[in-house]
Amino acid sequence: MELTSSALELDWQEAQARIERFIKDYVKKSGAKGIVLGLSGGIDSCTVAALSALAIGGKKVLGLQLPEKETRNATDIKHSIFVAKKFGFKTETIDITPALQAFYKSFSTFDSSDKVCNGNVKARMRMIYIYYHANKLNMLVCGSSDKSETMMGYFTKWGDVAADISPLMDLYKTQVRKLARYIGIPKEIIAKPSTPALWRGQLAEKELGIEYEQLDLILNGLEHFMKTEEIAKQLHVDSALVDKVKRRWLSAEHKRRMLLTAKIEYRTVGMDFRLPRDPF
Amino acid sequence: MKGDFKIALAQIECKRADKTDNIRKIEQTTQHARKQGAELIVFPELSLTGYVVRDEIYELAEPIPGPATEAVEKIAQKTKTYIVFGMPELSEKAQATIHNTAVLVGPEGLIGKYQKMYLPTHSVFEEKRYFRPGYQAAAFDTKLGKIGLIICYDIFFPEVSRLTRLEGAQLIVCISASPAIRRMFFETLTVARALENTAFLAYVNLVGIEDGLQFCGGSKLVGPNGRILAKAKYDKEDMIMGTVNYADIRPVEAFVPTLRDLRPELFDKLKENAEKL
Repeated sequence: MELTSSALELDWQEAQARIERFIKDYVKKSGAKGIVLGLSGGIDSCTVAALSALAIGGKKVLGLQLPEKETRNATDIKHSIFVAKKFGFKTETIDITPALQAFYKSFSTFDSSDKVCNGNVKARMRMIYIYYHANKLNMLVCGSSDKSETMMGYFTKWGDVAADISPLMDLYKTQVRKLARYIGIPKEIIAKPSTPALWRGQLAEKELGIEYEQLDLILNGLEHFMKTEEIAKQLHVDSALVDKVKRRWLSAEHKRRMLLTAKIEYRTVGMDFRLPRDPF
Repeated sequence: MKGDFKIALAQIECKRADKTDNIRKIEQTTQHARKQGAELIVFPELSLTGYVVRDEIYELAEPIPGPATEAVEKIAQKTKTYIVFGMPELSEKAQATIHNTAVLVGPEGLIGKYQKMYLPTHSVFEEKRYFRPGYQAAAFDTKLGKIGLIICYDIFFPEVSRLTRLEGAQLIVCISASPAIRRMFFETLTVARALENTAFLAYVNLVGIEDGLQFCGGSKLVGPNGRILAKAKYDKEDMIMGTVNYADIRPVEAFVPTLRDLRPELFDKLKENAEKL
């Protein structure tokens, strides 16, 4: 297998159709009234919101904009509104700053200097708002996670990854970009650097220490059972870099498989109860 | 035996773990196909229960004959058709030993069954966890000629189709539950199995989404020369009709004489080398 960007090429028309079919089928069978999702204005959430609207109609899709004081970004809000108008889905904006501040003030040991811990609180706070609306409106939560960040564990456990369905999770970031372009997401949204918006100035590629173009090819090699050395050789990179990506991928499995217990009884939740995920 | 007849490839979506609903769909589809002149109607792999039922298989599996086969037999009798469908078969000699089975019924009742020999247990498939493999190729005499049965992943192993052909089947029926990512494999293999055996091959694949797996349809009837005679849509329910005319085999068998040229001694070598792999 040749690890070039063409290895990540797909028939985008078919990819779009498959994702839309998946969303439509799941919403219909679950009996939910629609989809609610967190709308950050970034490529992933804009793309999944657009695909949801195309799949089930914009009237049944609610994009929640959940800004907070520290990371509020007027451009992101503008992008969200543009995409919502273009694809005809509803939006609602809720400033989560008061809720965050109430949390910070609610216990004396809160450490305002711990960037990562506090960033995760923001992701989980957004999740609470999204799930509240889903609950209240009998809707499903649609996640925006892509394959690159999911494999790397680059997300907040029980936070941004929490969802009922994650239609983009089998597409790498560079593939999401191509699909986004194909369905008509504006190029300004596709081109801007990705950020989880957990703190000001946070950039995904900087934190991951690698650009998505390279990361996705490494992950694609691992996906295809390629050995570390072969991936490094083909991509002309140090095998230590490939190894680092591989170790990070493997070490994050606990974030992807949520339930774990000590095996004691006959059949066990999360282990050998092997049930269909849904009853439909 | 009839020299030619119409076959319906019934590419249905199943309701998971709902045998009553799926039998109802088999009945309605059969009636519809019969009105169009079909004498043989083929449904996908595990069409009685849906494919991704996991541990529920223990609740759903039934012996053959049993209530499900009896229900489908009645449909066949009422409509005077032959029907192939798939179901989890509970062994009569055990309580939780199950086969992934294709069943052939006709106006005369239950004709035969085939237990899948190659159980995929890789990627998204976990069949060996639930099923015991079969050990016999299957080809059954009917008024529509000798019909061979294989199931899905069996098609990757040419010896299964070849065995049914050598048992005398001139029509090989392959029922399947194959997701979209593997579509190209089946496009190639269905044609190859028909041509190399100079036999008709009816491939019927499931559609619908089960636990995120999108079964892709694309059912087709392939002639003995590898030509696609009828093809169903991808990704949605469809029923297509085709004609099996056994007279078409003769000119191909003379032109591409793969059966004449079979070399049995190579099979011994194959066995020997396979054991050493």
